[in-house]
Amino acid sequence: MNRLQRSLKHSLATRVILSTVLLSLSVVSLVGSALYSRLADGIFATSLNSSLAESRYTFFNAEYQVLASQSLSVDERKKALAEFVVSTSTQGINEERREVIFVRTPTLITPINSYEMSSDIIKVSSIPADLRKRVQESPKPQHAYALARYNNGTVVDSLFVGQRISIPTGGRYEVYIVFSLKSQSVTLDLIKNSLLITGIILVLLIGLITWLVVRQVVRPVREAARIANQFTRGDFSQRMQVVSTDEMATLANSYNEMALSIEQQISRLENLSRVQQRFVSDVSHELRTPLTTLRMASEVIHNQRNSFDPLVARSSELLVAQLDRFEGLLEDLLEVSRFDAEVAVLEPVEFDVISLIKRCAADFEVASNISTPEIQVKSDQGAVSINADIRRVERIMRNLLSNALDHAEGKKVVVNVIATDSEVGIGVRDYGSGLDESALIRVFDRFWRADPSRARVRGGTGLGLSIALEDARLHNGELDAWGRPGQGAHFVLTLPRKAGELIDSRPIKVIPKDFHQEVFYQ
Amino acid sequence: MTLIMVVDDDQDLSEMLGIVLTSSGFDVDLVSRGDEALEVFRNNPPDLVLLDVMLPGIDGIEVCRLIRKESMVPIVMLSAKGETQDIVRGLEAGADDYMQKPFRDKAELIARIRTRLRRTNSDVTGLLSIGDISIDVTAHEVRRGTKLIQLTRLEFDLLVALAKDPGRVFTRDALLSEVWGYRQTTDTRLVNVHVQRLRSKVEHDADRPEIVMTVRGVGYKAGGNS
Repeated sequence: MNRLQRSLKHSLATRVILSTVLLSLSVVSLVGSALYSRLADGIFATSLNSSLAESRYTFFNAEYQVLASQSLSVDERKKALAEFVVSTSTQGINEERREVIFVRTPTLITPINSYEMSSDIIKVSSIPADLRKRVQESPKPQHAYALARYNNGTVVDSLFVGQRISIPTGGRYEVYIVFSLKSQSVTLDLIKNSLLITGIILVLLIGLITWLVVRQVVRPVREAARIANQFTRGDFSQRMQVVSTDEMATLANSYNEMALSIEQQISRLENLSRVQQRFVSDVSHELRTPLTTLRMASEVIHNQRNSFDPLVARSSELLVAQLDRFEGLLEDLLEVSRFDAEVAVLEPVEFDVISLIKRCAADFEVASNISTPEIQVKSDQGAVSINADIRRVERIMRNLLSNALDHAEGKKVVVNVIATDSEVGIGVRDYGSGLDESALIRVFDRFWRADPSRARVRGGTGLGLSIALEDARLHNGELDAWGRPGQGAHFVLTLPRKAGELIDSRPIKVIPKDFHQEVFYQ
Repeated sequence: MTLIMVVDDDQDLSEMLGIVLTSSGFDVDLVSRGDEALEVFRNNPPDLVLLDVMLPGIDGIEVCRLIRKESMVPIVMLSAKGETQDIVRGLEAGADDYMQKPFRDKAELIARIRTRLRRTNSDVTGLLSIGDISIDVTAHEVRRGTKLIQLTRLEFDLLVALAKDPGRVFTRDALLSEVWGYRQTTDTRLVNVHVQRLRSKVEHDADRPEIVMTVRGVGYKAGGNS
């Protein structure tokens, strides 16, 4: 049942075929029953007329017999009437059976002699009471259809025709002739069966024809759906076949035009992306080579600075420092445009994330000539092995640490690592100037700075956190930020432990555990 | 004197490299076209080649392949493109190392060149073996049975590093520091590509290595002596 309902709901063909079959079924049954009743009426009318004519003759005959036997004795009269009954009845032949019944009309005084008789095998009680009443009241022959019950138990549709008759010294009698309608019934049964079979076959044929027709329409629709589906999956070469000039062909043509237009637009966009990629690569090459020369030249000059006068010496220091900055900016810009062109590729390897963090932290402590706050690395595990792009994870960590150190205001920075079976969470917490709500929204924006008036200690490019976020997302990971003014900030990196998988929980919540104050906003 | 051939189409960079290398005590041969490189190389065989990737004529990767066909000289690619496929293509063509422009500093360039020129593994002498491979460190020869296997100097260093400490599992970082002389780098492409190249020369079946074994998630180690 459910299957049928589903099929009705989802299949146009089933719906059309089912409704066609139901409608044609009702039409066929209406036409069939009308035809049947017309035929039945016709057949019965014909047999009624002939039976009535025959009856009139028989009744006349009976009256004649009664009149003729007036002079005879009671026994002889009975004998004559019996002979008449027997000769008038036809016996043995089932189809055209005819019975004659003499029955006395009940009166108050029962006469001495009874001439009641019948062809013996039919039960007198099967004469309908209504007919008897009419016969008794009318001088003309009356008829009715009823079932004739025979002594041997058979019951046959029959026509009863009766007339009253007077037998002198015998009283009033009714003569009934019972015509069997068996042959008519058989004919009608035959007609009924033929009509039924014809109707069923007709309905089945209509169903079949509908199925064939619907298939012609539905098949191209299904084909179109299949092609559209493949198109959606990215096979842009799929086209519908145009084999005719009908509505389906119009649909196919419009579809194909749409597909072509989409394909062209996509290839145009792909082309743009390729141009962009090419541009990135060219800029990369064109800028890097002179930058290399510049760096080496500046270094040669820088190495000789002791022999220069102080102004030139200082200038050479600035030159070297700014070239460093320029190079950093170039690298970050190229990385950002790689993300924008979606050509950034993940190169995952297996490595221990804790030793990576420790190494980054150590580099900061060594590399910086400014007094660097302490970096604590905490984890309940000695090593956490993950499968990720080590270059990108290292870059994320350097960006987060550099950012934390820049805003730590000399206070410690804590890195917390918690790993589950499928994810690793790395939280970088500082207790410095912190961030307010508006800053949190923009903290990952390119070139955005928390406080433009503040001097930059480490001279970040302003792209670090935005690249870190892109790096995290390239791993299907996430980078969340939390901060309160004056209470520091907390950046949480969550990565799947296996490259390509998704994260479904955050081992470290972005609201730090050591922040107990009621949360007023967020 | 040690001769370094610099192949780069950027005149200014070539000149600058010339100044820096000369001031560090090297002889320098400057070539500006890819299709001239091989001829210069044959006429005056250098001790090391600094090779840019993008060159007029034929590109650096092709030049690298051609040089590698006839010599085991150390080749360091200079790449202005940081794209992985360029670096890997260069390494697969036979380069021992690569440097991405712009170089961190002059010292880094000189350090890399010195590492590649260094007479390798002076602390190890005599005969070593891994599996059915025997290594004569002093003679700088690698044999399987009597058959000599041609290895570049870097491949030789890599094999010796593994062989002299059998049983030890080397992380990629450890190999980078041991063989390439790198400090603080996480670039594992160098190791991966060179291990593949080494395997293609010393293994019976590079897909089922028996000499240079992979230790999943950690690194590599020498195959057992059988």
